[in-house]
Amino acid sequence: MKTPDDNKKGFFSHLRLPVSENYVVPGARKAMFFAGGLGGIVILFVVTFNVALQRGTLISNGPLSSNHALFGEDCASCHTPFDDVADDKCAVCHEKYGDEVGIHTFASHYLYRSGDFTRVVPSPDEVSCATCHTEHIGRAAPIAEVADAQCLSCHGYESFNKRHPDFHFAVEDIVDPANLKFPHALHVREVKSYEELADIEQTCLYCHQPDPDGRNFQPLDFDRQCDACHLTVSTGTPWLPVSEGALTEVPAVLPLETIRAQQAPGTRWANYMNPNEFQYRGESVRKRPLYHEDPWILENLRRLRGVLYPTQGLADLLRASGDVDPEDARVLYEEAITTLRDYAEALRARPEREVQDELAAINRLLALVEERLRDPYSPLDETRFAIGAAELNPALPPEQVNAYRLFVDELTAPCQQCHLVENATLMRVQAEQEALARAEFNHGAHIIHRRCLQCHTAIPIQQLAATETAIDSTRDHAGIQNLPTVDVCQDCHDTGKASNTCITCHLFHPDKSQRSNLLLYLKEE
Amino acid sequence: MKKTAIHQTKRRDDPRWFNKWVQSPRWFLGFWIAVAVCLALYGLNAFFGRIHPGSAWGLGFGISAAVLFVAVFAYAVRRRTMRFRPGRTWYYLQVHVYGGTLFILLMFMHVGFKVPQGLLTWWLWALSLWVVGSGLLGIVLQKWIPTLLNSGLSIEVHYDRIPQLVEALKQRADTLVTSCDAPIQTFYRKHLALALARPEARLIYYVDITGGLHARTRQFDQLRALLPPPEQEKLGALQDMYRTKLEIDAHFTLQKALRWWLYLHVPVSILLIALLALHIFAVLYY
Repeated sequence: MKTPDDNKKGFFSHLRLPVSENYVVPGARKAMFFAGGLGGIVILFVVTFNVALQRGTLISNGPLSSNHALFGEDCASCHTPFDDVADDKCAVCHEKYGDEVGIHTFASHYLYRSGDFTRVVPSPDEVSCATCHTEHIGRAAPIAEVADAQCLSCHGYESFNKRHPDFHFAVEDIVDPANLKFPHALHVREVKSYEELADIEQTCLYCHQPDPDGRNFQPLDFDRQCDACHLTVSTGTPWLPVSEGALTEVPAVLPLETIRAQQAPGTRWANYMNPNEFQYRGESVRKRPLYHEDPWILENLRRLRGVLYPTQGLADLLRASGDVDPEDARVLYEEAITTLRDYAEALRARPEREVQDELAAINRLLALVEERLRDPYSPLDETRFAIGAAELNPALPPEQVNAYRLFVDELTAPCQQCHLVENATLMRVQAEQEALARAEFNHGAHIIHRRCLQCHTAIPIQQLAATETAIDSTRDHAGIQNLPTVDVCQDCHDTGKASNTCITCHLFHPDKSQRSNLLLYLKEE
Repeated sequence: MKKTAIHQTKRRDDPRWFNKWVQSPRWFLGFWIAVAVCLALYGLNAFFGRIHPGSAWGLGFGISAAVLFVAVFAYAVRRRTMRFRPGRTWYYLQVHVYGGTLFILLMFMHVGFKVPQGLLTWWLWALSLWVVGSGLLGIVLQKWIPTLLNSGLSIEVHYDRIPQLVEALKQRADTLVTSCDAPIQTFYRKHLALALARPEARLIYYVDITGGLHARTRQFDQLRALLPPPEQEKLGALQDMYRTKLEIDAHFTLQKALRWWLYLHVPVSILLIALLALHIFAVLYY
């Protein structure tokens, strides 16, 4: 047997252990690579199988949000191989009946309730839906909550508290479009006294009544807010000259009896109006009491307007001027259709067959128009209602025009206590009280922290209402938008305080009206 | 100043621990500069963009991490490329260590320091952590175990020769014992024969490199007092063999750790490469 002493390479340690006779080659450790390689191959096989036959759920980056969860079974419903997620795939559901200005498009975002189509200028910064609405980040992921960074990639300011522009109405010094003569302080003083209110801010709520959800306020309404004090039984028109026929020669009003006898379209009210409300003195008449939107005044005003502006067209169907924001043009159409329906109703009592046939045709036509009006994508051209654009009657000499205008002022004198009249037309009252066109505001969420007059300071209501002197019309008139500027919001909405993200106030897709219109989805292609 | 074969400048001014743990101050400094740059970029991302793997920033971090991972993997290829040797292995090792650590940082930045929710991405995340963690464990073992082996043992042995040396020791002990009296033979049979039979890994060596030598050799002292002088010499020789066996066991235990940590690191790294390839495919495809 070979002993250590026989070894020619030498020894080590005091025990004289033999040095290796050969070079010691470490083990290859192939098992290590084999295990890893085998694992890798198994993974590749499993995933290939999953992609080919099980729609690739294994390689998904994460669960889809709850609303999109069912699409997780078919990647192709959103994804296109070797391409980004195309907006078209989103539009399949979200813009089911979309057009170029669909509710989820950038064009719609540029408009943002402004109705100003000059804003619709495509930008190179436009991104796909998936850029902002990130998917595969969990079932409960709020994919509609877009980070500020996305908004700020186009909008050139740092945050809500740094270089955020002030509100449009404040920057442009836009007058309140209420079209009313309304000093706030005077009304606060009167309401406070009339209702015996101790808190001045309770008088605000006398007129500004909150919506059921408390976000905003209900539209102002004469019957609810004004009727108690205005147009009492003693209110009447001045004595006005009466005309029995056409109004082309001398400005005058038609008496009730004449209107009844003419049976003109839209004058059925005349059959139900009390003749005792009219007092006659010689060739003059006075109506007392008056009602809000008094049909006798409106009918006479319409006829006078017809003399002054014979080519006013569709505007003749409106009860007030057609000056609304372009996005509200639908209101004008609805009002015009109501008037037309009223005209058609007057034909119902006519026994002639041809008239009834015509009436049926008119009703079908109106139904068709109403249906088109309900379609959010029907193009509307509100300019057809522009009364101001109508031309003055060229046959009328200037002195006669003046005479008519003075007479219109005389007829509408009780109305003009509050209303504005231009071009022989009552200016449309802005009953809606929503002022922020491009942002959302919830009064209910704020009233806990701030009182009304802490934010609405443009008119010093508290100061003016406390005095007994006449109201300073330069400091308190209906044209003043008694709204806070952005710095008032920034007091509370700041880092470390209340939320100051973009989506706290803004919507990227501002038109929420059609989001839950289920009929769009039930409608056949 | 003369450089060593691995281009390592001898550094006498640096603290001892620094010299032990950092092979190249330049690489070390470069690594921390890279970390600072990455974190600054992440800060810019948080300030100017959104934190998301699919954003331009996130994709940038992800692509950087993938490129770095390929560079890190090149070390394994280089070690097995015996004929074609592009560059020194030492550089590959530095890229492997520092690049691997930077990879995990970039991977975290890619996912926004959150745990991914997808199955594939979760496994990518977890295996990346595992691979880098086991790699760092390997570095610690390779720095710590040689020092430990140097600290209290009188011999050095090659791991692959241990079975052969243990066998030689056993044969010598068996031969010696045949010439001894009955008490030594009984003592050997009862207490030593089994211990000398094969290499034995014991965790005690991680905390006491002598493996409790004094306690284990106490029985020799008790027996020695009962033996005549010639037998005491033979028992002394037997005790030397036993002590050497314990030291070989210490090498066996600690060198085994140096060999086996690779089993934690390498197979998972290969899996990670497969998953990374799948992830890149999935990103490009979808």
